Amino acid sequence: MKRSILNLVVTALVLCMASVMSSAKVGDSAPDFTGTASNGKTVHLADYRGKYVVLEWHNNGCPYVGKHYKSGNMQRLQKQWTGQGVVWLTILSSAPGNQGYVTASQENDYLAKMQAAPTAALLDPTGQIGHLYDAKTSPQMIVINPQGVVIYDGAIDDKPTTDLNDVPGATNYVSRALEEVMAGKPVETAATRPYGCSVKYGD
Amino acid sequence: MRRWIRHSAFSWAVALGLALMLPASVARAKSTPITHGTLELIAEDQWIAPGHTLYLGLHFQLDKDWHIYWINPGDSGEPPRVEWQVPRGVTAGPIEWPTPHRLETPGIVDFGYENSVTLIVPMHPGAGLTAQQAVQFGASLKLLVCSREMCVPGKAQLSLTLRVKTQPPLPDPGAAELFAATRKSLPLPIPKSWKISVADANDSFVLTASPGHPIIDHPITDHSITQAVFFALAESQIANDAPQSVSPLASGFRLTLRKSDQLLKPIQRLRGVLVLSGDRAYVIDVPISKARSGSGTP
Repeated sequence: MKRSILNLVVTALVLCMASVMSSAKVGDSAPDFTGTASNGKTVHLADYRGKYVVLEWHNNGCPYVGKHYKSGNMQRLQKQWTGQGVVWLTILSSAPGNQGYVTASQENDYLAKMQAAPTAALLDPTGQIGHLYDAKTSPQMIVINPQGVVIYDGAIDDKPTTDLNDVPGATNYVSRALEEVMAGKPVETAATRPYGCSVKYGD
Repeated sequence: MRRWIRHSAFSWAVALGLALMLPASVARAKSTPITHGTLELIAEDQWIAPGHTLYLGLHFQLDKDWHIYWINPGDSGEPPRVEWQVPRGVTAGPIEWPTPHRLETPGIVDFGYENSVTLIVPMHPGAGLTAQQAVQFGASLKLLVCSREMCVPGKAQLSLTLRVKTQPPLPDPGAAELFAATRKSLPLPIPKSWKISVADANDSFVLTASPGHPIIDHPITDHSITQAVFFALAESQIANDAPQSVSPLASGFRLTLRKSDQLLKPIQRLRGVLVLSGDRAYVIDVPISKARSGSGTP
């Protein structure tokens, strides 16, 4: 009896911790995760300690994501920042049967066709990584610093539309945050409303 | 033969087009197909007169379970954006947004309207509107229409021709029902006897409402408030998916609203819509005070 109460208390505590952990706020430690990439490799976030890491939530059927891939904007950002040693993880949290859910080979075909260049594309059909970071939309963007702290969480830029014409004049929050921290400055805009399609989690 | 049919169809289209362009007493434009629905531009009155505000309605009829968004769309999506082309001497007012609904999917809370909604916009004709046979109103819309599963962006171009007369306008009987029903879905000004205050309590805003003396028109007594939902007008102020807990007080009730993680700078006022017991909705616009000790989150 005592033991079962203790179990209950422990369970409650763990649940509390899980719910606290689930919101990775700016300034907090980025919760660690292990994910399977579309190329079959296993990715541990903790292995990238010492580097900047960008998380990009992705759904290939979402018109907001389409804006940044059809314009080549996302691929440009991926190439620019991975070229400077930043780790770029594209995360696919759509559940099976929902928009944006793909198999590993479908994702590899997409990456090749779009000439995308993330460090890895992580398949997250259970939504585990998405929920860990409380990702709401695609494309939601998170930037983690070399000490493993979240320094930016929100939209990709300041134009919350699906219009390709809005890409050139937009202020890109991810690039600006990376430029600022790399220049030793604080991130001026560290949290914004992430715009886009809702992440298609399973029930 | 085939050419004839095509030619004939073309002629009919031209004839129909011309017929629609005639400035008769058309107070309702033909409905335009949009992604997963139709959109109509409707005037409340039969004509427009200088000095009399005219109300136009953008009526969305969407496929079942598809939705558009409120001015604050919530966690995802975006509201429709309208650009008006108005006759000389007329000024377009802001959209009168009906009370939104919470559209919930796992982990996401959006605000909007499912199936159908009408957005009313006032048009203010000044002295610059002179008597002429007819004037045209145009609306260019950028839209996002979504289901729980997917979103489709779209565009629409609508126009409406109205006669100009000097005598006060008469309502169009064909539009009366729609406008009456839509006005019922608009949030009301808060009753004058109510006292509403909002306190900043670290990670929350605490809204305290005291209805004061019960009013016959608003029969809300201290004990009847069991449900209250607040919709913030601006994005990134309160956490959309956080439970909003209602605690009854002797003089009214208190609603605790968790701040959004995206709110990094203090705000001066809280603006939005407060919905009580599911159907009575009020416009809220109150200054935010620092919480006194003891009145913070429970």
